[in-house]
Amino acid sequence: MNRKILAVFLRDMRVSTRDFVALYIIVFPVLFSIAINLFVPGINDSTVNIAMLEGDNPEHVGYFRDYAVVELFETADDVRRRVEKRDNIIGILPGSKDYYIFAQGNEPEGLVDYVKTLRAYEFFGVTAEDTRVEFSDFGNTIPPIKKLMVNVAIMLSSVLGGMLIALNIVEEKVDNTISAVNVTPLSRGGYILGKSIIGILVPVVGTITMLVLTGFSNVNMFQMLMMLLATSIISILVGFIEGINNSDVMEAAGNIKILFLPLMGSVAGAELLSDKWQKFFYPIPFYWTYKANDMILSRSGTWGKISLYTAFVVAISAVVFAIIAPKIRKGLEH
Amino acid sequence: MISVKNLYHSYSNDEKYAVKDVSFEITEGEVFGFLGPSGAGKSTTQGILTGLLQLQKGDVTVAGYDIKHIKNEMFNKIGMSFEQSNVYSKMTGKENLEFYRKLFDVKTRDPQELLELVGLGDKGDIKAGEYSKGMKHRLTFARSMINNPTLWFLDEPTTGLDPSIASEIKSIIKEKNREGVTIFLTTHNMFIADELCDRVGFIVDGEIKLIDSPKNLKLQYGEKFVDVEYVDGKEAKKESLSFMEKEDIGRLKEILDSYEIRTMHTKEATLEEIFIKVTGRELV
Repeated sequence: MNRKILAVFLRDMRVSTRDFVALYIIVFPVLFSIAINLFVPGINDSTVNIAMLEGDNPEHVGYFRDYAVVELFETADDVRRRVEKRDNIIGILPGSKDYYIFAQGNEPEGLVDYVKTLRAYEFFGVTAEDTRVEFSDFGNTIPPIKKLMVNVAIMLSSVLGGMLIALNIVEEKVDNTISAVNVTPLSRGGYILGKSIIGILVPVVGTITMLVLTGFSNVNMFQMLMMLLATSIISILVGFIEGINNSDVMEAAGNIKILFLPLMGSVAGAELLSDKWQKFFYPIPFYWTYKANDMILSRSGTWGKISLYTAFVVAISAVVFAIIAPKIRKGLEH
Repeated sequence: MISVKNLYHSYSNDEKYAVKDVSFEITEGEVFGFLGPSGAGKSTTQGILTGLLQLQKGDVTVAGYDIKHIKNEMFNKIGMSFEQSNVYSKMTGKENLEFYRKLFDVKTRDPQELLELVGLGDKGDIKAGEYSKGMKHRLTFARSMINNPTLWFLDEPTTGLDPSIASEIKSIIKEKNREGVTIFLTTHNMFIADELCDRVGFIVDGEIKLIDSPKNLKLQYGEKFVDVEYVDGKEAKKESLSFMEKEDIGRLKEILDSYEIRTMHTKEATLEEIFIKVTGRELV
């Protein structure tokens, strides 16, 4: 990388770590990953919980332990009190003829049926080894809500990269330093490139961190990188234009939030609307990014499909670039 | 070093020119003062010469480069000290200079050495945002020397500085000029121009009214005066008399012969007085 371009990037990076808003943007992916992990459990954490008596038949308890998380209580009243708590837990207590199952009544039907079936299998002495079904899966261990949140967070990370650019340009405008840089051998293109790096690198590092922390480290990173770079173009362009048009850090940060509207709109459109409405989202680059990210996170994205979606994003970004590039060049003259 | 021919510039891209038909030449090693009141076109001309403003009409060469097709390498030869200090407030003084030096392709000066030169040697590790106005101005001035420029643009280099610092800055400018650096000095301070410049150009309303050396201007336009204070009876009187006017010379002789002289000082016309005489405008 050109030494001067690198100097511009390193300067921005150094100053960003000294600014609270910019620093928050940089660490956002880590914070968001922790939040996702806290509030959206993975499939391995999704369990069936059963409350039983401590003095119950150990074989009986052992059978259920193979297929569910069993909590043991001293008395039947303790079991009842546990079942009455807010989370979903089914109680199994010995009755006069057979065990009886009881629940609060607001548990998912499937959960109650699952426990009933388990009890039936136990009664007939059936275990998983008795099945003759061949089992295979796609290896997806992540729940859809988690995938959606990570997908949105990746796009958000790209927008925040644009916000970092805007903040750095506003800082230069406030300090009136653009004119000082303009009387050095650093070309305008080099300056723009140097300023753009932070808007690419921070989302890239942030996304990789987020994927690892949220359990998506096995996705195709090259596909993800390609999509991320394409999405960054629009964020960078908006970052520059907002930086040039604003002379206050908070004003710039506020205005760049305008990107959240098409971003969230695309997600809502892709997830909630029927096929006939989808075409209205085609001009929004985030729509294609969301679809591509969804495939990548599901590990079902072919290179052909991801490349096509990348091309759509790049093409839309090129149109935006053609419209606002002269304004960016003009805005960086002083 | 600088050649400007029939330069025009309009901010509104019409016939309302901020600079019109400006032409001048600056030779290597010269200190050229560009003088005029606010809004006269000084900054516009300097902006074009330094590539900060696009050349619209006219022929301009700077340090051997045609400004119509500016090459980035030209800036290796140029230093620019801005009137309004423009440094990164979130970076220390030293970091400011360290960053700036990386943008040049030529041998640069040691930031600490430059800081010491402008009296900020012990303030290098403080964020520039915490500097006073004068300190920021000195940092901006120091930064303009980092690439050892052969052509140095100075925009009001002593404005806002206390007299002792201003004197140090003037000494640095003189020293750089002795080393062969060509200096383009933009100012409305005629005393500095008089002290530093080999030639000055008066610009008013976008037009150059006159270019000459301060010495020639004084000879051509200045009048030598004598301020004399004398006692007439019990009353102290004061008169200012020209050496150029016969009537005034006669009056001076009369005063010397007839009254008790208290004080008498000869006075040379200042550049400011000449500017007002030539342009009919004050330097405000």
